[in-house]
Amino acid sequence: SEMSKDLMPGPYPRTPEERAAAAKKYNMRVEDYEPYPDDGFGFGDYPKLPDKSAHERDPWYQWDQPDMRHNWGEPMHWDFDMYIRNRVDTSPTPVPWHTMRKHFLVFLSTMLIMFGLGEIYPSYRPVGPKQYPFNDLYLERGGDPNKEPPVVTHYEI
Amino acid sequence: MAAGPPRTAAEAYRPNRFVSLPAELDPDTYDASPEKRRAEAERLAIRARLKRQYQLQLNSPNPPAIIEDPALLRWAYARTQNVYPTFRPTPKTSFLGALFAIGPILFWAAAFKAERDRKERLIQEGKYKRPFSLF
Repeated sequence: SEMSKDLMPGPYPRTPEERAAAAKKYNMRVEDYEPYPDDGFGFGDYPKLPDKSAHERDPWYQWDQPDMRHNWGEPMHWDFDMYIRNRVDTSPTPVPWHTMRKHFLVFLSTMLIMFGLGEIYPSYRPVGPKQYPFNDLYLERGGDPNKEPPVVTHYEI
Repeated sequence: MAAGPPRTAAEAYRPNRFVSLPAELDPDTYDASPEKRRAEAERLAIRARLKRQYQLQLNSPNPPAIIEDPALLRWAYARTQNVYPTFRPTPKTSFLGALFAIGPILFWAAAFKAERDRKERLIQEGKYKRPFSLF
């Protein structure tokens, strides 16, 4: 791009002077500037901002870009496109997250265990062989109408 | 063992990577020591300076076609072109690279080979039931 090399992100800052220069480059205070740890993952000197989504930013402040809730020149989070208002939301929940997770896992595991038990030990209503009327459908099955059909009783008294 | 002092509401809430602590439970939002105020004032000064730059460009009589945001350009550059120069092979990156790049290939190759061998063995033994057979 047409911006000079010293305005673009660079390698991890090693000396305090490099840190101060990087903080100035990113429009941050030197005390606020904290780069990602130098693990060789490819972050360079990009600042590690708090993992807060755009939902948590003040909706009533006059942002330069209201839909992104972002000001011109303000350093953007590395995962900025994940934290937009259509996507991941990190705003505080009314119920603590570990409580929600516990309730969800209890419900899910209960349902799965019950479904599993139902598959291993199925239970149906008792059934018997089908009973046909009219002496086991004697005439419909081609029995002679002149002959006496064999009496078929399906009950016992 | 004794229960210890009762947990604060902030500790009971346990914020993590997915949810943040509400401002009402955060003690940082209540104390306004002089250092914090000075820090806030400095941040406000930076913000005001940037806003002034932006507004000057926006409301100038001859505004440029696009007002470039250097923060956006830096963000895009950092995520695309600055990754390879700053990458360094370490034990962690090598392990993760092997796990996510080579692992799936080996896994799926083994899975498909095993499946095909099993099918071939069944066909040779004559036990394979054709799924879409017309007969």
